Amino acid sequence: MGDLKLQNVTIAYGPRMIIQGLSLAVHDGEMVSLLGPSGAGKTTILKAISGLLKPDGGDILIDGRSVTDLAPENRDAVMVFQKPLLFPFMNVAQNIGFGLRMLRFTKSETRRRVARILALTRLEGLEFRKVHELSGGQQQRAALARALVLEPSILLLDEPLSNLDANLRQRMRDLIQSIQTETRMTMVFVTHDQSEALMISHRVALLLDGRLRQVGTPRQLFYEPIDPDVARFFGGRNFFQGRVENGLLRSDLGVFPVGRQDGNGHLRMATIRPEDIEIAPLGKSANGGLTGRIVKTNFEGSAIRHVVTTTAGELMVLTTQDRFAPGQEVALTVSPDKIRLFPKS
Amino acid sequence: MKRSLAGFTGVIVICAVGIPFVPLCLWSFARRWFYPDLYPQAFGLRAWTYITSTAGTQVLTAIGHSVVVAAVTALLAVVIAVPAGRALGLYAFKGKDAVSILLTLPVIVPPLCVAMGLHLWFIRLGLAETLGGVIGVHLTFCLPYAIFVLWGVFSNYNPDFEDQARSLGASRLTVLTRIMLPMILPGISVAALFAFLLSWSQYLSTLIIGGGRLMTLPILLFALMGSGDRPVAAAVSLVFVAPALVVLLFSARYLGTRSLVGVR
Repeated sequence: MGDLKLQNVTIAYGPRMIIQGLSLAVHDGEMVSLLGPSGAGKTTILKAISGLLKPDGGDILIDGRSVTDLAPENRDAVMVFQKPLLFPFMNVAQNIGFGLRMLRFTKSETRRRVARILALTRLEGLEFRKVHELSGGQQQRAALARALVLEPSILLLDEPLSNLDANLRQRMRDLIQSIQTETRMTMVFVTHDQSEALMISHRVALLLDGRLRQVGTPRQLFYEPIDPDVARFFGGRNFFQGRVENGLLRSDLGVFPVGRQDGNGHLRMATIRPEDIEIAPLGKSANGGLTGRIVKTNFEGSAIRHVVTTTAGELMVLTTQDRFAPGQEVALTVSPDKIRLFPKS
Repeated sequence: MKRSLAGFTGVIVICAVGIPFVPLCLWSFARRWFYPDLYPQAFGLRAWTYITSTAGTQVLTAIGHSVVVAAVTALLAVVIAVPAGRALGLYAFKGKDAVSILLTLPVIVPPLCVAMGLHLWFIRLGLAETLGGVIGVHLTFCLPYAIFVLWGVFSNYNPDFEDQARSLGASRLTVLTRIMLPMILPGISVAALFAFLLSWSQYLSTLIIGGGRLMTLPILLFALMGSGDRPVAAAVSLVFVAPALVVLLFSARYLGTRSLVGVR
């Protein structure tokens, strides 16, 4: 079992508040990403869960039992740090077996378990290597193996991919994902990379300024952000105001049906993702009648990003067509079902 | 190019360390050596037989005292310097600057003043002319160096290793003995070596606190040198240098094979 519950956890470093009243439930067998910009307090939360840091307030429960006052060595939650932190005076097998030795497993049992985890993390044949003889990816896998071998109820991963290059990153991510699927181990995965969080997790918890802003499935966070900050974190750039009247949102961008009657007559914020705006050369414009001029173009490889000034303000457009250039007049089409109206704050 | 430079450096180092030993060796085996000859006129084993038989017990006692004093001083210095160096290297606390100035004081103030001042206190405390007293005064000179070494070690030390070990199930104590100690072992050996050699070569402070009764090798050496018997003084000098040289070679080899890998 690996049920994790954070109740109203508050952590401060001196007068500086890091985490404020954070509550989060992670269910058994779930992979939850703790997503947030650098310095948002993600690592602090992991340290609190693992017991390396005592929260100033609130309670942490594993399988329904409070562990807030339990020392880290007695908690069934193991943390893997951003750096591999392999003990330099031990070889790979000794490193991986460290936790088992702490638990006083017999030598043969330790060897058996280490061998199994070596196979799982594809480190066979490297067990007697010195730590500094391993490549970066191998070191990170060994660090992961060292935690996995303990079969903890909860595995806490603190940006374990951030020190790897793009290629290794993907392989390591696949490895973590397949291990998670196989073992159904509860994992909390800290990252600042939104695409990584979306790809790897069942649910994503977005942390901004020490507070949980939104928790939900990757699709929920991406398509139904709860406020502009969340949308901005996931690459949302186009925000506009409109007045809700009889189920319609009237804005400079156009009039869109929103299918809701609440908030009649009020100003509300809405957003449209850059990739949901269609761009076409002027003249072929169909409906909407929104036109503008491209002021900036960024080539990103698989997509091209344009900044377009329109009568409704500056809009960012992401397209796969490479046929527009700065200075060009273009027509923009916004499909109404892609408009995201933020709940009243 | 690089290799020849290294060779050249090696030759210079060997010359600088080795050349002073040549006249020392010659003197210890000399029977007659008068100006202006470059070599002794006659060789003999008189000096060596003197220090091994006639003055044998004296030399052995002196070696024994020196070894005990230096070893205990080094041990105590390390035991105190590890927590002190950790505090100074890893944590920020009020009065850190004051502590560092305080630590340099015994190094700056002339040893004679320190020893004389402490002598009065040691007489009152009944520590004068005792082994403990000599160790105590040696510690005042050795401890700052040991702390400075470990301060440096701990400022490059990554405490995340300890957090990682605790998360993997190691208790606080286990982390100290099985993670911290192995990680800082090179630093500990340097600090212990410094303390040992510094204590080994103390003359003035041993003379003042030991009152000339506690015979260590430097005290014996100075007594023999004062007597004007050069071959004997040379032989004792060689005995004096030998253990230090062994310790140095051993730790140089040890430090060379085991670098500070893994320390951040």
